[in-house]
Amino acid sequence: MSDTGHPAPSGRPAPEIEPRRRLHPLSPLLKGAKSIVVIVAALSWQTLGQVGPTDFALIVLALAVGVVIFSAVGWWNTGYHVVARELRITEGLVWRRNRAIPLDRLQAVELRRPLLAQLSGLAELRLEVVGGNKAEAPLAYLTVRDAATLRERLLALSGRAAPVDTATTDEPAGGAPLYRVRNHDLLISQLLTPQAIFLPFGVAWVSAQFLLEGSWTFIGIASTMTAMAGVLLQPIRRVLRDWDFQLAREGGDRLVLHYGLTETRSQVVPPNRVQAVRLTWPFLWRAKRWMSLRMDIAGLSGPDPGDDKSSDRLMPVGDLPTARALVAAALPGVDLATLATSPPPPWARLLHPFGLRFLGAGLAADVFVSRSGRITRETTLIPYARMQSVRVVQGPVQRRLGLATVYADTAGGHAGAARDRPLAEAYAIADQLALRARRARCGPLAPVDVAGPVTDGSEAPVDETFWQPPEQP
Amino acid sequence: MSEPPARTVVDALEPWPDTVTWRPLSSRLIIVHLIGVATWTVVLLGGLLAGRIIGGQTAWLWGMAAVLALGLWRAGVAVRAVRAWGYAERDNDLLVRHGLVVRHLSIVPYARMQYVDVTAGPLERAFGLATVQLHTAAAASDARVPGLPPDEAARLRDRLTALGEDRAEGL
Repeated sequence: MSDTGHPAPSGRPAPEIEPRRRLHPLSPLLKGAKSIVVIVAALSWQTLGQVGPTDFALIVLALAVGVVIFSAVGWWNTGYHVVARELRITEGLVWRRNRAIPLDRLQAVELRRPLLAQLSGLAELRLEVVGGNKAEAPLAYLTVRDAATLRERLLALSGRAAPVDTATTDEPAGGAPLYRVRNHDLLISQLLTPQAIFLPFGVAWVSAQFLLEGSWTFIGIASTMTAMAGVLLQPIRRVLRDWDFQLAREGGDRLVLHYGLTETRSQVVPPNRVQAVRLTWPFLWRAKRWMSLRMDIAGLSGPDPGDDKSSDRLMPVGDLPTARALVAAALPGVDLATLATSPPPPWARLLHPFGLRFLGAGLAADVFVSRSGRITRETTLIPYARMQSVRVVQGPVQRRLGLATVYADTAGGHAGAARDRPLAEAYAIADQLALRARRARCGPLAPVDVAGPVTDGSEAPVDETFWQPPEQP
Repeated sequence: MSEPPARTVVDALEPWPDTVTWRPLSSRLIIVHLIGVATWTVVLLGGLLAGRIIGGQTAWLWGMAAVLALGLWRAGVAVRAVRAWGYAERDNDLLVRHGLVVRHLSIVPYARMQYVDVTAGPLERAFGLATVQLHTAAAASDARVPGLPPDEAARLRDRLTALGEDRAEGL
């Protein structure tokens, strides 16, 4: 039923209606391999113990053949082509699906190379579009060169302004490097996580149980090892994922990220796509004065904070000067060290008996700053230009105390919150946010009166500088 | 370049949202809500009455009294909740406020609009009402205006879309 012509991508596409192209012929095998891992994991040790290794291997083999055939049918029916400013993807045999992805809605493009794809020289191209919970169009797999060419093309088509001509930029391929994680630091930073620190106790406890009972079974030990691996999975995955994390700026203001050990990913974020930047300062990292930076990109990072799949790191681990430089790169014109916030009024202590002074919010020149967290301190920067809406919410207890919380919503899913401000101030903040967002959207052409009800900082209240050095917590 | 917010500059008695002219919802929405509360109460009362007839203990009567009291209280809340709901169209943004226990005020710029939903349930339709909801790219944005007469809903929808197109920015 497929009217597609060329099995392998070839030649330059015609300017008018270019033919639909298929993914690389090896893709079904690679995709199948991924499913087989899932199947083996689902079968678990228990099944292996019950049916014996030979039958187990047979089951896996039968399933694997089925999966590969299924993927091959899927591959035969999948095609993509660029029509005007849209990427069209057709897929499915029984349920045909045609998707047209408007490229001006493109938020980021990512080139992923899982281990198997690295061995076979292939790559997966993922497009992040607004409104999709997951990547809208994973094109798996293309050859690396095709993927890179297609990515350049899509990015050029997506440009709101004139497309960036990467051929004439003065930087070498890869752009000017801004930051590169030190793998040594990365390892230590992940060892300084609760999971890694408590693991020895867990191991000791389980071994003690085995020793007391004196029953050493293969399945028991294997299950324990799996459980331990599960606990350590997050830190290990973070290390593997953020290995060799590099950030560069390329032609114009694009951010190019490159990271990963087993699965390398290289991600291009066009300018003005960063919805928010979050700075996290975990308790265990304080002695090292390390922090991590994440950025929210619409469609990429969901509201789920524990989602490790989302690739939203701006800096896996680093110190303050590095963070400053990176924040300035992601949000031009923002200097991390000068962002001041003010805490909620003292009577909000009833709502926050501990750590009231670690809460705070402030209106900086280009961003809305909010801080929270006693143990893991977090700072959220939301550029006014990217803000979607403003909300003022007042709960019953807050009403008793005359307080209210102001939220600045972004498309990234994380809202900046000025918690428990006095009611009048909350309304003033909300008004200012709306005003500044409008001014930021309209650009300097439409100046708006910013005097408003908020003072210009000349009579700054109990003001706390944003950054507190670790010596004086 | 930081401008921390001041303590109190606006008049606390006349905070800024109250200087906006709020439009109320149609009072017919109160009837819709009351019908909802009444249906719920009647179903529960029927169940308890059946229990009373079958079982015969006085506890069922107390239960019925409690359900009736709860229904009356909920009716009162429904009336006040509809009255508390309001919206205002400013030059550049739509304001929506609602909530009795937890009070919400949303400021949604027209420029951020992704799409406008107009919905009407069967009960709402019977009373000639519709709900207009403004969606932005942020899931948390909360600009829902229920209980609008159809012509007002259509006007609001058209106005919002027109303004959204004028100030289109999206993200």
